[in-house]
Amino acid sequence: MEFEATRHCPRWRLRTWARRSGALSCALAVAGCSGVQSALDPAGDDALRIYGLTVIMTVGATLIFFAVTGLLIYAIFAPPERRAWLGGRNTIVLGGLAFPIIVLSMLLPYGLIVMRDTDVPKAGALPIEVIGEQYWWRVRYLGEGGRPAFSTANEIVVPVGSPIALSVTAADVIHSFWIPNFGGKIDMIPGRLNRLNFTAERPGIYRGVCAEFCGDQHARMAFDVVALEPAAFEAWRENQAKPAPEPDLSLLVRGRELFRAGGCGSCHVVRGTEADGRFGPDLTHVGSRRTIGAGQFPNNIGTLAGWIANTQHIKPGVRMPSYGSFTGEDLRALAGYLESLK
Amino acid sequence: MTALRTGQVLLMLAGLIAWALQFTLVYGATSTLCGREWANATLLGLGIVQASILIATLAALAGTGAAFAWSLWEYRWTEARQTSPADRFMIQTGVLINGFSLIVILWQGIPAFILPACA
Repeated sequence: MEFEATRHCPRWRLRTWARRSGALSCALAVAGCSGVQSALDPAGDDALRIYGLTVIMTVGATLIFFAVTGLLIYAIFAPPERRAWLGGRNTIVLGGLAFPIIVLSMLLPYGLIVMRDTDVPKAGALPIEVIGEQYWWRVRYLGEGGRPAFSTANEIVVPVGSPIALSVTAADVIHSFWIPNFGGKIDMIPGRLNRLNFTAERPGIYRGVCAEFCGDQHARMAFDVVALEPAAFEAWRENQAKPAPEPDLSLLVRGRELFRAGGCGSCHVVRGTEADGRFGPDLTHVGSRRTIGAGQFPNNIGTLAGWIANTQHIKPGVRMPSYGSFTGEDLRALAGYLESLK
Repeated sequence: MTALRTGQVLLMLAGLIAWALQFTLVYGATSTLCGREWANATLLGLGIVQASILIATLAALAGTGAAFAWSLWEYRWTEARQTSPADRFMIQTGVLINGFSLIVILWQGIPAFILPACA
């Protein structure tokens, strides 16, 4: 009885609400601290340095905020004779002038040193070029003499423990390249090469995004970063440099014929076939990618078929038109062929 | 405005004027020198961009330091004698502005010696 009566008391309700909202906030905060797209879960040294700077500044700013708020409340509510020292010359000079000057004078060089060390290219770094296009990412791996060895799209595969030297630019409008788990965000500007260096310290799959509004599908312009162990990366790179595999089933042969007859090769390249278009993503090994549509859907026959037939419905404004005239059987063959390009 | 008042206003704002000049010189020199690909040229044993920024910063600090010393001297002088509230306000403000300007000029020069010149 007593317990039931207590439950209706406003103080009990307030306490319960505070407990529940506190638990919810903690759960959300913890959930936000990890994951494939979080600046609070650094996966490399450079990101860790930036994270350290963020923590120091956030904690410092929070402490200063609460101290100033406390003093403000004290100044309002304390008796005049007790709060008089707040208006004294020493308080103003020490708290209002000396303290902010000392804090900012320490933070400025510290922040600059962190950013400088993050920007330094490492010797022997693996060069990768990334070009932002509306609304996808062209990724080029360079071979001997800095020439492109092969291209891929919407997926950057890197070896764990090796420094990566990214050169980024844009083909049409300004984009911004950002992998939160690896720190720095950098603008992609047409006609200009910007550079970003990072090292993945642990294997995993991370998510990058376009961080500069670039058009109506800006929010659907993401990519995967796959950090592999060095041996697995070498195997991946070797496979990607090869031409497309020959289809070994009649359905896939038909899919390849539909790809050719449908004119897909005027925009897309599939190395080892006559398809040599450079306008759209390189599809030589499209089946090996995790996602399609710049990180929008898992890559499988169903989503590939849906994408081909309804591109403008799924992602309105992209350069690829919808090819809704294919029959269901043709779509299965075409999507099956693309999915087989591992 | 009398000549005396003009001088007081200039003294009060000397730090801000020096800061603005330093700002213009630092950004102008960096953009021009980096744009013309002179990043590797040297002057006085330093990279030309750093040397330009150092000269601009030292000049601004020297000018502002002199203005600060003068404001401080005037401030002590006003404490000893009777002056109008307007004069007192301008002199006190001059001490603060010129003092703060010394710090911001220093802050503006520091990055040149930590970050690469034409990154």
